[in-house]
Amino acid sequence: MNMPTPNLKNEFRIIGKSVKREDVIEKVTGAGSYVSDLKPVGMLYGKIKRADVAHARIRRIDVSKALAYPGVKAVLTHEDVPRVLHYGSPHPRSASCTKDQFILDNKVRFIGEGVAAVAAISEEIADEALDLIEVDYEELPAVFTPEEAIRPGAPLIHDVGPGGNLVLEPVRVERGDVEKGFAEADFVLEGEFSGGRPVPAYMEPNVCLADWDGSNKLTFWTSTQTAFMVRGILAEVLGLPVNKVRVLVDHMGGGFGAKQDCFQHEFLCALLAKATRRPVRMEFTRRETFIAGRSRHPFKLWLKQGFRNDGTITARDMKIVYDSGAYGSHGPGVTIVGTNSATSLYRCENVRLDGRCVYTNTPIAGAFRGYGVVQTYYALDIQMDEAAERLGVDPADLKRKNAVGEGDIAPSGHPIVGRGLEACIEHGIAGFDWKARRSLDRRPDPSRPHIRKGWGVGCEMHGSSAYPGIKEQGNAVVKVNEDGSITLMTGAAGLGTGAHTALAQIVAEELGVLFESVSVVHGDTDAVPWDIGAFASHTTYLVGSAARIAAGKAHSGVLERASAKANVPVEELMLVDGVIHVTGQPGLTMTVAEAMGPSKGIPAANILGKGTYEPTKSYSFAAHFVEVTVDTGTGLVQVDRVMPVHDVGKVIHPIAAQGQIEGGIQQGIGHTLTEDYVIDTTNGRSLNAGLVDYKMPLSMDMPEIDTVILEAAPDPSGPWGAKGVGEDPIIAIGPAIANAIHDAIGVRFRHYPITPEDILNALKQREDQ
Amino acid sequence: MKQIVELIINGDSHDVIVEEHRSLLDTLREEAGLTGTKKGCDVGDCGACTVLVDGQPVNACLMLAVEASGKRVETVEGLQSASGALHPLQDAFMRHGASQCGFCTPGILMMARQLLEENPDPTDEEIRFGLSGNICRCTGYTKIFDAIRSAAQEMRTTRETEVTL
Ligand code: FES
Ligand code: FES
Repeated sequence: MNMPTPNLKNEFRIIGKSVKREDVIEKVTGAGSYVSDLKPVGMLYGKIKRADVAHARIRRIDVSKALAYPGVKAVLTHEDVPRVLHYGSPHPRSASCTKDQFILDNKVRFIGEGVAAVAAISEEIADEALDLIEVDYEELPAVFTPEEAIRPGAPLIHDVGPGGNLVLEPVRVERGDVEKGFAEADFVLEGEFSGGRPVPAYMEPNVCLADWDGSNKLTFWTSTQTAFMVRGILAEVLGLPVNKVRVLVDHMGGGFGAKQDCFQHEFLCALLAKATRRPVRMEFTRRETFIAGRSRHPFKLWLKQGFRNDGTITARDMKIVYDSGAYGSHGPGVTIVGTNSATSLYRCENVRLDGRCVYTNTPIAGAFRGYGVVQTYYALDIQMDEAAERLGVDPADLKRKNAVGEGDIAPSGHPIVGRGLEACIEHGIAGFDWKARRSLDRRPDPSRPHIRKGWGVGCEMHGSSAYPGIKEQGNAVVKVNEDGSITLMTGAAGLGTGAHTALAQIVAEELGVLFESVSVVHGDTDAVPWDIGAFASHTTYLVGSAARIAAGKAHSGVLERASAKANVPVEELMLVDGVIHVTGQPGLTMTVAEAMGPSKGIPAANILGKGTYEPTKSYSFAAHFVEVTVDTGTGLVQVDRVMPVHDVGKVIHPIAAQGQIEGGIQQGIGHTLTEDYVIDTTNGRSLNAGLVDYKMPLSMDMPEIDTVILEAAPDPSGPWGAKGVGEDPIIAIGPAIANAIHDAIGVRFRHYPITPEDILNALKQREDQ
Repeated sequence: MKQIVELIINGDSHDVIVEEHRSLLDTLREEAGLTGTKKGCDVGDCGACTVLVDGQPVNACLMLAVEASGKRVETVEGLQSASGALHPLQDAFMRHGASQCGFCTPGILMMARQLLEENPDPTDEEIRFGLSGNICRCTGYTKIFDAIRSAAQEMRTTRETEVTL
């Protein structure tokens, strides 16, 4: 383990403070460069022809008319591109992935899959050329739900994988003795849960730009969370050494996990540029971000748990099936993480879990904030609420009693540090005035008898980093310049979370310089150290640790240089806010600039600190407390107030952390109440691939959010105990809302989204009974 | 059919040759080289492309460049003062963490600027209503509301000082 020695000072100068994010200046002035803002001279526009059948073999594609169309410079079909089977999700090889994609195949597996690509001198011409491509399909029977897909005799979507449309062998986790556990239970709860197909709907549609130089080197700008993975997979599939692929990403308009894949359009854009010897930019329409982007995995889950009358959980039996859509993408990872997570959250000795992931002829599911866990914790947490109801106890109390903490083993197999979840629940109970609110007079106001209020709590825990699924590594290089300014070089992408600011804060703190003196170089695979990608809530945790190590080395380098220059023993030197002091000799100082700069006979210093960090795993925790209003006349649910309480270890930039939490709550409210990208299960067509029909919470829909960040359980594996926060806020809000709806109207929903129709139907059913 | 259109963008006159069907958004981004205004949907659903045309907020993806001929177009690039000082809204967005990925930010800034122009002291409800056509997927809006409130306050104070002077 190469962690720096713990810093015993409890006064921080920079971390823990919401320093002004100077990296944002480009965003508020419009100067920031996103890939779609780039337009090199001679640039062509790329477009993809998409299939309008769900499952078919391509008999023949005729591109002659398209090629002859004035302004069209190249057309590619499966006959023109390298036929290399690859992972759509370019995870490092230490992860379980499924090689099941070709750049273009002679088979189509969902409506919207690309079958050809065009480059033309304008977007309009490219679009028109797509219509001129004639495809002759031999249609195959298709399946649109996991139930259909796993039925014996179902049409096979792939000839790779374990067979039977499974993406991977079932994930089975067994611990203790489940049968004995059920035998010891005083009562057993059993239920089926399910969830739709929410999409990340980042504001910047996927976009990339490719250009080849005379030495056959590809320069590739793309909106990706994983520049080095894109470099690796492009190189592999196109048959190039990695130093002949340079991936660049400056600003990107969000990703939320889904921009981890290496997409079909990225290969095609590179190949069109190669074919035309001109730069080609390919930009998704908003519709394409739905059809050809990535969603969360729809799921079906069966959960049975045994409880004792004192609230102890004696057994947990769970089966979950994730719908991967037409390709594996993150299906394996999501299934492993999601299934394993159900060993935890609420303590249980006897568990038996079975997780499956199934191909269907629908758009591809992928990585999305809360990776597999949104689904399982939705079920676990709602069933916990049911148990509390059955026991006649406060659900917050029951959850606190069963909350995992120090002494328990996390889903990753690592011991849990501290009692973060308990702390979150306790703070919420007090801060939200939970007990008093829940005991309010529930009789409806006679003037508005259709209005009902309810209160709910949901909990979650989530790992910072994808370890042990992926063997991760964070890297950083810190360069001290001759004028005392500092450059941090990192491969971590900036999705908008403030990661670069947090990294700069860590460097400034550890090095002992002002925050303003640190600038960050990122987003160029030719210039920065290798990075695994920005995902798994791990950037601050993992790259932050590497940055701290690098800054520590730079710190030593600066002091050694100053020691030699001033002829003072290094132990007597101290670096604070960019000024080197001599202990015990007030007034005797030297700035970093003075130490670094040249002087007679001595050249400028060359100090580089390099840090590499391989983490284990730490877990962040949260409890969300919500108040909802349900209108039993219209079925509308309004979330009025949310108190998200999060334990993040040491917080580096409070405002940025809050911002991530609030954004996660917005997406989580969406998942739970309105968001679902609907595929017609009779023919595989998209029914709402646009921002008007896919309903996300907007400014008018947002509740009051009163975010609380705790530093209850710092984990020694992160910088000063910092853990991740990115994914956590989307997980607990869902069950909190479902539980609050139950509290308001007494109806238990076990799926998302819970729509007004669902509410009205349920109320009607209850009336009819 | 191509046409020469005169657009007065952030006070500068630009003559651009465009096809009649070209949107104002594509014209700003591709012909005038002003890429601050973003394209989130191109069909009027997201508000990312909000600019002011003769002082009114419009979705630039829904307006043709020829329709804006001779009109005053204001984009995010024009928010900073000539001396380079940030507009109070820009500064407040930075301080309050109202911009995460930043893709919605130019549109929201323009909408907010119009909102404060018409109503220097908006209530929370008025801010929410004013932004109801602008999607932000990162921030949960909370920090955006904070930033707008804070900028409004600052702008009112500045105005008062100016009046007293
Ligand atoms: S790009 Fe114009 S409203 Fe979305
Ligand atoms: S900051 Fe990313 S969409 Fe608003």
